[in-house]
Amino acid sequence: MATLSSSKHCCSSSSVYSSSSSFGFHQPQRNIPFPVVSQKRLGSKSVSWQSKCSPSSNVILMQDGALATKRVATDEAPPSKLKEGLLSVTPPEEHKQLMNFDTNADKSTVSITVVGASGDLAKKKIFPALFALYYEDCLPEHFTIFGYARSKMTDAELRNIVSKTLTCRIDKRENCSEKMEQFLKRCFYHSGQYDSQQNFVELDKKLKEHEAGRVANRLFYLSIPPNIFVDAVKCASLSASAANGWTRVIVEKPFGRDSESSAALTRALKQYLEEDQIFRIDHYLGKELVENLSVLRFSNLIFEPLWSRQYIRNVQLIFSEDFGTEGRGGYFDHYGIIRDIMQNHLLQILALFAMETPVSLDAEDIRNEKVKVLRSMKPIRIDDVVIGQYKSHTKGGVSYPGYTDDKTVPKDSLTPTFAAAALFIDNARWDGVPFLMKAGKALHNRRAEIRVQFRHVPGNLYNRNFGTDLDRATNELVIRVQPDEAIYLKINNKVPGLGMRLDRSNLNLLYKARYSKEIPDAYERLLLDAVEGERRLFIRSDELDAAWSLFTPVLKELEEKKITPEYYPYGSRGPVGAHYLAARYNVKWGDIGVDE
Amino acid sequence: MAKLLSNSCSQSSSVTFSSLHNEKLCSSGKLKVIPSVSHFSKWAPKISARIQLRSHFELKSSNGYPLNAVSLQDEGSDANPQAEEPHFPELGEGDSTLSITVVGASGDLAKKKIFPALFALYYEDWLPENFVVCGYSRTKMNDEELRNMISRTLTCRIDKRENCEDKMAQFLQRCFYHSGQYNSEEHFLELDSKLKEKEGGRLSNRLFYLSIPPNIFVDVVRCASTKASSTSGWTRVIVEKPFGRDSESSNELTRSLKQYLTEDQIFRIDHYLGKELVENLSVLRFSNLVFEPLWSRNYIRNVQLIFSEDFGTEGRGGYFDNYGIIRDIMQNHLLQILALFAMETPVSLDAEDIRNEKVKVLRSMRPLQLEDVNVGQYKGHSKGGKSYPGYTDDPTVPKNSITPTFAAAALFINNARWDGVPFLMKAGKALHTRRAEIRVQFRHVPGNLYKRNFGTDLDKATNELVLRVQPDEAIYLKINNKVPGLGMRLDRSDLNLLYKARYPREIPDAYERLLLDAVEGERRLFIRSDELDAAWALFTPLLKELEEKKIAPELYPYGSRGPVGAHYLAAKHNVRWGDLAGDE
Repeated sequence: MATLSSSKHCCSSSSVYSSSSSFGFHQPQRNIPFPVVSQKRLGSKSVSWQSKCSPSSNVILMQDGALATKRVATDEAPPSKLKEGLLSVTPPEEHKQLMNFDTNADKSTVSITVVGASGDLAKKKIFPALFALYYEDCLPEHFTIFGYARSKMTDAELRNIVSKTLTCRIDKRENCSEKMEQFLKRCFYHSGQYDSQQNFVELDKKLKEHEAGRVANRLFYLSIPPNIFVDAVKCASLSASAANGWTRVIVEKPFGRDSESSAALTRALKQYLEEDQIFRIDHYLGKELVENLSVLRFSNLIFEPLWSRQYIRNVQLIFSEDFGTEGRGGYFDHYGIIRDIMQNHLLQILALFAMETPVSLDAEDIRNEKVKVLRSMKPIRIDDVVIGQYKSHTKGGVSYPGYTDDKTVPKDSLTPTFAAAALFIDNARWDGVPFLMKAGKALHNRRAEIRVQFRHVPGNLYNRNFGTDLDRATNELVIRVQPDEAIYLKINNKVPGLGMRLDRSNLNLLYKARYSKEIPDAYERLLLDAVEGERRLFIRSDELDAAWSLFTPVLKELEEKKITPEYYPYGSRGPVGAHYLAARYNVKWGDIGVDE
Repeated sequence: MAKLLSNSCSQSSSVTFSSLHNEKLCSSGKLKVIPSVSHFSKWAPKISARIQLRSHFELKSSNGYPLNAVSLQDEGSDANPQAEEPHFPELGEGDSTLSITVVGASGDLAKKKIFPALFALYYEDWLPENFVVCGYSRTKMNDEELRNMISRTLTCRIDKRENCEDKMAQFLQRCFYHSGQYNSEEHFLELDSKLKEKEGGRLSNRLFYLSIPPNIFVDVVRCASTKASSTSGWTRVIVEKPFGRDSESSNELTRSLKQYLTEDQIFRIDHYLGKELVENLSVLRFSNLVFEPLWSRNYIRNVQLIFSEDFGTEGRGGYFDNYGIIRDIMQNHLLQILALFAMETPVSLDAEDIRNEKVKVLRSMRPLQLEDVNVGQYKGHSKGGKSYPGYTDDPTVPKNSITPTFAAAALFINNARWDGVPFLMKAGKALHTRRAEIRVQFRHVPGNLYKRNFGTDLDKATNELVLRVQPDEAIYLKINNKVPGLGMRLDRSDLNLLYKARYPREIPDAYERLLLDAVEGERRLFIRSDELDAAWALFTPLLKELEEKKIAPELYPYGSRGPVGAHYLAAKHNVRWGDLAGDE
């Protein structure tokens, strides 16, 4: 097996796919020989381009999808400092000083503050992801983790909570407890109100103590409800920004609930932060197979020629959960499945799938292409959307509650828990190709996948062998994001034996079978990228605007007309309306075909 | 899993997606049995039209040109132009019968391959209801002795053992023996009367399988054709390689055979064409949208056809020494696969249409140059206390033989689709593995965004499609993907389909398929004489030059990876052998 590798600077040595080349996609930050770095730099145009800016003069015009900027070059950055220094918002004089240090050198440190530390997401995802990064040596040598929330707690109590959810990689159990202990020692807690500058000043003081005069970079993870985003950002930015390193803020969805509220949120955040300090997380973009989508397209000769309306008949983006709101529908009811899954996760995947080849793999280049896709999309017609809501269902003596049986959901709620939509991209590559999305809760299985159905073979010699249904015999490329990551290509081949019978079988790659290493959680990747300033997987505000302007009209119409969702039983395959929608565009859902 | 049903009805083990359709097919009889009928009954008028045309046509096709004419004649599938019977013998009907005569019944091939294949066909119900198998050779033997001999090599499918003993006994009851000289018309006359006896006045079709040395081909064909042809049905003759040893001798053989047989009675077998994955090659290309757009010089960098055996001549080099590996493997098996691989889309899947396209490929090929060929011969080698003999240590081989046991060659097709794409062939005996495969290496991605991740060797990161013909039939496509994890490391992994894993049923031997096709008059997998001519025309000048210049083969140790010369040959055309790469 040939390994084509170039590893991110970190860490894990367990992989058998060893590599001789050390420069890579992510900027190596540790002990990098100079020539290598400069090569990296040639490839990272936009990064070095940003390196010339004085952050205070940044003007990023978001709405048109291109980064129009007026920037003044201040000085030439030493290559090894590229990202870390330059994407930060520090006064120029400190900027200069900062550049003389490597982030990971003795004198720099990262403080990660999890705002909303007592919440569920923090416990289940953020702390474990941070630990995993630590465990695999991906974090800088000096780092501190602060929990911040309103609950009164001591450091020890926080550590106690955190320790319950930490796990080690299945394939690397040695030293696990030791590592955990070391990690927990770096975790601290500060209790405070989310809108109290005073409390954030106290936090700042504590952080300074831990930073002990080193160059300090600070990352805030806002794991809090959207209505207090702006308050927390204001306080953090004004009272707890890094004095001499970068300050970045990770925000999670929801980013508003329509174009207006999203724009308002962006505006509010921008009062206190520059665009490049805001890291809007879409954790689907951190999934292994979504990351791999671009690799598949752009590093294989055989896929790119097929990647257009000429060969692709339709694309399906499918997300399903096999559970409902389970008593926690309060938040969901306000948003619904379209906002919760489609407008962000599925649309982001669609954009990655359909984008033109970017100039480079740099974040800005990729996001420029994605935004072009979003802006080329036809507005969604209400006829092209099917919505559903699950109802209760009794099976095998077990009774599953309907959506409106959830106590936190209003009895007369019309919020969709299922939606299917047909989207179209009006550009030369995709004109007329239906992109079908489907997302739902309380369905019969849990999965997320991308299915690419190819056209039928023109003038197929084997027509007679197929009977009459040519559409059944088309090729299909399936990228299964979860569970059981896999890529497979359905091909027609001959059933071995005498006679000529054809069969659709799979050329497949099951990740579990090939890669014994555990696949990192999406949050690990995204947290690491945020620490490193790699923005590829985060949503830029113009992308967000474009995504909202696509969905806002149809969402408004659904709400104004009080369209009743089609009811489907808990645990079923969803409303049949989705099939009629597909049929209108001559599509058959691939996930509920007989051969799956 | 959807099964795309075609015309096989007797296999009930598989799920079909439309049982309605299935019933319809099966109710119309054993469609697979008669190919022209398998085009469904609406085709019947056309077929009778063809029969009328056929009787006015005289076949003279040894120059490979009158292709359309050949196709007119062959289409009808009942082979014998003299036989004017208006209907097709419905095999399996009570009034027709099939006699299969294995000429050279005491030989190795007959015992190891032909009889077992016939039994397998019988076991799976592919043979017509009335059939007899007759062994013919010089050895004195009675029916019992033949049955005894055969029964030792018969086996049942691993996955279907029930009734095996019964079936074997029934099969053996249908086997008879006739002893005679290969050049005696009188003995064949005796055979004819024996066959008539068994046929019992039914409409009779006769198939002769010539499992004998090439020097007696013509004698046997003469005797069989003049004395033992069927009077009421078709008569067909299967011949095995070698079909001559150069253009002249091959032409001579064809001319001689044609004195007694028409082209469509001659079934030149190339058993590689009966291999499952070779059959699948056309299916892959023409029934999948994703491959055909890639199938040209725009995307394919080179194609490799690789054949290796892990044993030498093992004391039976007498025949081989007269031919050498190029004639034994390349000029036929590998070249046939190449032609199938590279041909344009045929008008239909009919034999003549496919063979027309194959012959076009062969005739578009640049004659082989001596400098594009590397020859080798294995020498003795000791490993782990065990000593393996060299080729010339074989007592049946002359001590000073320079016959190649290994050869690598670069071939080119001068047409619009393939101009400049090297087709590399490699075949050898006494190598480190036994395998046969087709490897398609694609070009590198132009302007690859991930080139930094590949380091400098872009060519190492190209896609590759591999069809492994043997052992362990498989298809896999090497793709680049990301190694799961936080970094961005790329890895070449496989999208694969291992037949063993997906199809637990045993894959039939190539001989079964080919025998069945011959019985059914399906000529797709047999070599037409113009194909044969074109194949020889390509190799003859080179073979002559090798022999005239007495080019000494590069010696390589028994069990090694073959002469290094093959690598230099590949390097010259900017190719790297896929089978010897580090990742295999």
